[in-house]
Amino acid sequence: MFKFLAKPYRWAILYSVVLIAAMAFTLLDTFVLPKALAAVPKASTSTRTDPSSEEIFPDNPEDSEESSSEPVITENSYEDENIKITIETIRKHNTTIYVADIRVSDPSYLKTAFADNVYGRNITAKTSDIAEENNAIFAINGDFYGFRDAGYVLRNGVAYRDTARSRDNDALVIDADGNFSVVSEGEISLDKLSDMGAWQVFSFGPALVVDGELTVDSSSEVTRSMASNPRTAIGQISPLHYIAIVSDGRTRESAGLSLLELAQEFLERGCTIAYNLDGGGSSTMYFNGEVINKPTSGKRISERAVSDIVYIGY
Amino acid sequence: MSISVINNQHKNRLGKIIGIYLLLSAAAVAVDQIYGLFSHGVDSAAMTWMFLYPLLGGAFYYFIFGKLIPDLAQRPGFRLLLNLHSSGIGTLTAASFLQGVFEIAGTDSPHLTYYYGIGIVFIIAGFVILAGICQNRSFNSGKPGPKEEQP
Repeated sequence: MFKFLAKPYRWAILYSVVLIAAMAFTLLDTFVLPKALAAVPKASTSTRTDPSSEEIFPDNPEDSEESSSEPVITENSYEDENIKITIETIRKHNTTIYVADIRVSDPSYLKTAFADNVYGRNITAKTSDIAEENNAIFAINGDFYGFRDAGYVLRNGVAYRDTARSRDNDALVIDADGNFSVVSEGEISLDKLSDMGAWQVFSFGPALVVDGELTVDSSSEVTRSMASNPRTAIGQISPLHYIAIVSDGRTRESAGLSLLELAQEFLERGCTIAYNLDGGGSSTMYFNGEVINKPTSGKRISERAVSDIVYIGY
Repeated sequence: MSISVINNQHKNRLGKIIGIYLLLSAAAVAVDQIYGLFSHGVDSAAMTWMFLYPLLGGAFYYFIFGKLIPDLAQRPGFRLLLNLHSSGIGTLTAASFLQGVFEIAGTDSPHLTYYYGIGIVFIIAGFVILAGICQNRSFNSGKPGPKEEQP
């Protein structure tokens, strides 16, 4: 064996083959090989009527789930007894921005879903496919939890991952009443959040607006991302009143937004809290059966498969 | 074979090794630049600086030790040193590349720990062999030691 390896280049060739094989496996394991870690219970549809919603939905009977009357649907809006969504498309910063104004009568209409209804790594599907499977009226991509091994994951009341990310990262918490808050993963455990009534927890960030104040500046960016990117973010104006923003980017038509520009859009619309979700090629907005933005995948306009979505539906 | 011929062979051998490492350093820089064209402006320190492993850990290492131990390449055990040390440098460079890929993509992998660990083990093993080579007296005593295969 030693004599064999002592010959010139034999060790180098053998080790190079082993190293390349190991790298290939590592890359496959990280980006390709699906690993289902938990089955997902069907999302709860129990409703908890909020008195403040009666102003927007005055005729909403208590304990109703599905709308009893036909919704009014246009190209840019959806309205029924429980859900009202208006989509506005604007041009700013050389970028097309899609702003969804969402009002619901009950927090249970704000839901999340996993690709293929399975929690795991590298289990992905297009936002539109996940939305369609869950009969979503409106959907945006989530935090792509499945691309990492850390970051809190709690969806529809079920905790899936309690490993905090390495740095002091912001997590978005949505409680059972549909109210948003931002916590630092390093300062509170997922168990504690669950005990406090967290219903959804997302781990991407950063927070854009907290208590009505900007929390990012011109130097802020997601890890090492470039300044202008396609973006997805969600914010809250008041109880059961939300704003979701998706921007195009990385194309000739749309340069993309910086985090500061994105945060300013939420602030201008009166959001007291807003949080950045996964952007780049993941940014997708789905409404009434169609993808309405232009998600980029490499050089083409096409949807990227993602781990999860946030959606409005029954 | 005259001493001058042996010395020239030694210098050529070390020079060849140093040249290969310099080429690998240049290749690492090229990989970083090419990858950067497709990463939407995102960069990673691990990818940017991975060329330092073959440059400092390879070319500079053999340059320095070649000066400190003039007949290093002729000493028994040099092939083993070369194999172990190069395996360590290669593994660390691979780890740095993978870390860069993951950081640019915004993901992670628990496997990286093993790459860095194995790379360091190989480097340490190489230093142990180097220490043994330094203490090898058979060549200094004038008696011919085990003949090292020439590349």
